[in-house]
Amino acid sequence: MNDSVVILSIASAIVASTPILFAALGEIITNRSGVMNLGIEGMMLMGAVIGFWAGNTTGSLIVAIIIGGLGGVALALIHAVLAVTLRVDQTVSGLSLVIVGSGFSSFIGTSGEPSLLSARNGVDVTPLFPSALRDLPAIGPILFGHDLVVYLGVIAVITATYVLNRTAVGLALRAVGEDPASADAAGISVTKMRYIATAIGGFGAGAGGAYLTVAIVGTWQNGLTAGIGWIAVALVILAGWRPWLALIGALAFGGLNGLGFTLQLAQVNVPSDFLKMMPFIAAYLVVIAVSASPNRARRLAAPAALAQPYSREAR
Amino acid sequence: MRNRLRVMPRGVTGPEVRFGVPLGALAFALLLGAIILAFAGNDPIEAYRTMFDSSLNGWKAQSRTLALATPLILTGLAAAVAFQMRVYNIGGEGQLYLGAIGASWVGLALPASTPTPLMLSAMLIVGALAGACWALLAAIPKAYFNADEIITTLMLNFIALSLMNWLIFGSRSFWRDPRRPVPGGKRLPESAIMPSISGRLHIGIIIAIVAAIFLWWLLRKTSWGFQIRTIGDSPRAARYAGMSVRRKTMAVLALSGALAAIAGVSEVSGVTKGLEPIALTSNIGFTGIIVAVVARSNPLGVVPVSIFLAAIATSGSRLQSIGIDVEVVFLLQGLIFLTVTAGEFFVTNTVSLAHPDTSATGSPPTSEIKAAI
Amino acid sequence: MAGEAPHLKVRNLTKSFYGVPAIDSVDFDLRGGEIHGLLGENGAGKSTLCSVLSGLYRPDSGTVSLDGEAVQFRSPQDASRHGVGMVYQHFRLVDSFTVAQNIVLGMHKKQRPRSMRQVESMVADLAEEFGLHVDPTASIWQLSVGEQQRVEILKQLFRGARILILDEPTAVLAAQETDRLFEAISTMVAKGHSVVLVSHKMAETMAYTDRITVLRRGVNAGSVTTASTTPAEVARMMFGDSNAAERTNYDAAQQVGEPMLSLSGVSVQGDHGLLAVDDATFTVRRGQIVGVAGVAGNGQRELQEVIAGLRSPVSGTIEIAGTNCTSAGPKQTAQAGLAYVPEDRLGVGLAPGLPLEHNIVLKSYDRSPHSRRGVLSDSAIEKTMNELVEKFDVRGNRSGMRVSLMSGGNLQKAILARELNEDHQVLLAAAPTRGLDMAAAEAVRSHIINERATRGVLVFSEDLDEIVKVSDVVLVMFKGRIVGSFASDELDLDEIGLLMTGSGAEIASTDTPTATSTRAGS
Repeated sequence: MNDSVVILSIASAIVASTPILFAALGEIITNRSGVMNLGIEGMMLMGAVIGFWAGNTTGSLIVAIIIGGLGGVALALIHAVLAVTLRVDQTVSGLSLVIVGSGFSSFIGTSGEPSLLSARNGVDVTPLFPSALRDLPAIGPILFGHDLVVYLGVIAVITATYVLNRTAVGLALRAVGEDPASADAAGISVTKMRYIATAIGGFGAGAGGAYLTVAIVGTWQNGLTAGIGWIAVALVILAGWRPWLALIGALAFGGLNGLGFTLQLAQVNVPSDFLKMMPFIAAYLVVIAVSASPNRARRLAAPAALAQPYSREAR
Repeated sequence: MRNRLRVMPRGVTGPEVRFGVPLGALAFALLLGAIILAFAGNDPIEAYRTMFDSSLNGWKAQSRTLALATPLILTGLAAAVAFQMRVYNIGGEGQLYLGAIGASWVGLALPASTPTPLMLSAMLIVGALAGACWALLAAIPKAYFNADEIITTLMLNFIALSLMNWLIFGSRSFWRDPRRPVPGGKRLPESAIMPSISGRLHIGIIIAIVAAIFLWWLLRKTSWGFQIRTIGDSPRAARYAGMSVRRKTMAVLALSGALAAIAGVSEVSGVTKGLEPIALTSNIGFTGIIVAVVARSNPLGVVPVSIFLAAIATSGSRLQSIGIDVEVVFLLQGLIFLTVTAGEFFVTNTVSLAHPDTSATGSPPTSEIKAAI
Repeated sequence: MAGEAPHLKVRNLTKSFYGVPAIDSVDFDLRGGEIHGLLGENGAGKSTLCSVLSGLYRPDSGTVSLDGEAVQFRSPQDASRHGVGMVYQHFRLVDSFTVAQNIVLGMHKKQRPRSMRQVESMVADLAEEFGLHVDPTASIWQLSVGEQQRVEILKQLFRGARILILDEPTAVLAAQETDRLFEAISTMVAKGHSVVLVSHKMAETMAYTDRITVLRRGVNAGSVTTASTTPAEVARMMFGDSNAAERTNYDAAQQVGEPMLSLSGVSVQGDHGLLAVDDATFTVRRGQIVGVAGVAGNGQRELQEVIAGLRSPVSGTIEIAGTNCTSAGPKQTAQAGLAYVPEDRLGVGLAPGLPLEHNIVLKSYDRSPHSRRGVLSDSAIEKTMNELVEKFDVRGNRSGMRVSLMSGGNLQKAILARELNEDHQVLLAAAPTRGLDMAAAEAVRSHIINERATRGVLVFSEDLDEIVKVSDVVLVMFKGRIVGSFASDELDLDEIGLLMTGSGAEIASTDTPTATSTRAGS
């Protein structure tokens, strides 16, 4: 029964959702501090190539994820300098980051000796739990069949929710994203908070990219993320900047490919391109719906100061 | 006590600043690129000379560069016209695809014997309309509900991408050539192909340059452009002067969408000669946004900026002959985008070292200045 | 209460912005357990003094001492640690957070209770103690303005403030909420706190304070004990000697003609949900300058905007030169004959980033000769600009320069030039000389007076001297109502001063001029 298509596609959806989840979770933290970083796709590519290299060099999944995450942080800090310190347009800076990330990652991927393009995956991805648990009917492959990083994703969701909602740091971070002038008046350093949050966002995207190369695809190609970063951008909006909803959304989006396959087996023909559109159509509609109804906007809408640079003088 | 940097808004922004800072940023990017090249074990000077030779030295190289610049000029104009009103059209990618889909439909649907001028006009009109309508999907919610156009136009890009992919890869649509083993678009008839000027360079470049001049005229010399510039500078002053911000938002986004779509028409008709999703998805729309930023939203500035970026992109192929990977050009482009974007800050502000005491208190909020005078 | 050592002692305090002193050698004493009223016109230096006391600005010179010990506050947090807390007129609260979250925001770990529940119960106790009732678990956006203000006060008390500076706390409050606020303030004082009450309003200052300090043009115009002074004396300290203002341009032969602007029963909803303009009825006739006096924030801006078609009234009608222009929009209003010089020159009256020629034709760009069939004529625009620059003596323009770099006086002349060059029947000018040097102010004033010969003029100004100088009829606005109307030959400056601060109104009129609280939108 554990070989059934449904169970396998649920299990693979969970794996496929992990990079999206990491990237979206990071972006939620970034956004909650009032910084918009549209460069997820670029940061993921950067994390993917560096993580892949680190994985090959060390053979360790967790090292690959951490180094990949740091690759994302490097790009994110460029964004922080541009968007927070220099107060340039965050949209433009984020888009630049996409192009920088894809250019830089291609450069790194190609010009190494030997080139990473021809490299084999050096990381052995092993399940975390013993086979006794993994072989349990149905829940075995779904709940216990995955590697450490998948569970780290869930832990990250719990941690993010707790920190954002229950701790002083989370309160300060959200205050900076909602009303930087009030946060500043309360003695919170807006700049510091935004740098940290942007770096965390970069780590999430980079780690997600690294997981994609090392644990899912297993090779490096230029432009490997193929739009997953943008799905994460859509997901953040759909989830209303809440980590738990991002987890659910990531699972849904991770399952879209598998869903197409399952539907085909069930002789229901929904073109996969339409499934791929879903996250974006949903985010598009949600943005309009939220804007159209002022009451719901209160509960759902973006952090009030999202994408607004803060300067004490221009108050 | 340590000294701190003091940032002050620049009073007068003269031409030496407006042109000097981007050029300085450019030089800085090239310097960074040289350092990275040197670290990777290449000779940066030789690399740059090769790049120059293969993109700007001689008509053959120049025509290759201009061919690549053509769609960039158009998507750059698309972003620039929206920026003039401080509206963001991040949807150039999607509008470009819609233009390509619309134009290739016309090219395939009309009889192949249709005279070329008629055929190309029909393709331009239908393509532009398709792009304008696609942009309106973001413009209408923006005008009526103030829905964030950055997000809506961005999302519409990927919806358009999937739509185009589906037409070719996911279905037996009108656009797809059933005879080709690898899915691809039907080839456009000869009458639907933009006449070549030289090699890959086609008359799309003329359309692009005419569009740039027209747009400059529209924004600078007409009362419509007067309103756009007023709204862009100060929506409150515009309202005070009795202008309708809502109607202009829709008009400007539609125009922007049409321009990006014309880039798609030009690519389909002059380069890919059929609806070819992979060839069309090369970040032309996104790059256009950065072109517009570098050109400071000036339609006439978009042309040289596009040509410069295209020159860097063209030069990649030749680099391999001296043992440098093509990817260097992407790296360079990226560096240029970053330094020029950062340069924006130095166009609007001056930075100097300040004595700690004067910087600590900063300047008062504007209300306080008023009160103090 | 008196006789204790002063809690807070300010000596020779000076703070300048860009070389212009906002406060100049100010002395100020706040004694323990007193309510000290700080009065003055807009721009008199009240906010600057408070900002120095609360650690936002550092003074250029002078000393501040607390209980005899010299102090220098490096930041608002530093001031807070010394027990000085400020409640701004514009609240510093995060809308989407709860009351308790806002109260602990930014507090240091050591001072802050561990759990939010603990904070909530402490806030509830504090609220109970001082009569500042508010639900600690409610989100800020759910609260009325009065409740939000209580949160701001609680925030300071929670952090241990012994000295509270309240910046015009009643400006945004309805009558009932005002009463509750003063009850709470009395409780605080009874418990040993001291309060600085920044205000424009005579009645509440006279009723609730122990002492009063008046600032005028950045200097201390006097500190008095409330019990031994009169509203008239304080008003004189605020607005200057009544003999100083003279009508320089009165022309007895001036004939008054037909109505150019008529308002009848106009009421306007303000941004805070209260009625900003309450039942305004008046007429401006040809050959007449009507001046509206009043302290800023009493509904003048809303009244201007509703006349200019930028706002819709909730009731009443507006006629311009015989045309009904109620809710007509800015374009129709201008076409009906209104020339409008707005209060906010660079924010509303001009597109600051665009050059002068663009701004000079901001309302006529779409008409001949400036454009034909939608195409602008640069030469015609330039011609108009040159003519008007000449005629109105606008200086400091350079070709292509953004207009915001010009001086205030030249900006104002440019706006006047544009507005008076249009076909019009009535001129509405708001704060027309604010921030201008003497020569420019005089030039602007003479343009306004020239208008009277053939048209009607409505002028708003906070500068009472100016109103008196130019007007044939003076209206006084307080809390959204027209509380007084004086013909130029029966002006009583003392009474106008009292009406402006709200105290005369309670004596003069039978129905109290309090804005109706609607609390809509909360």
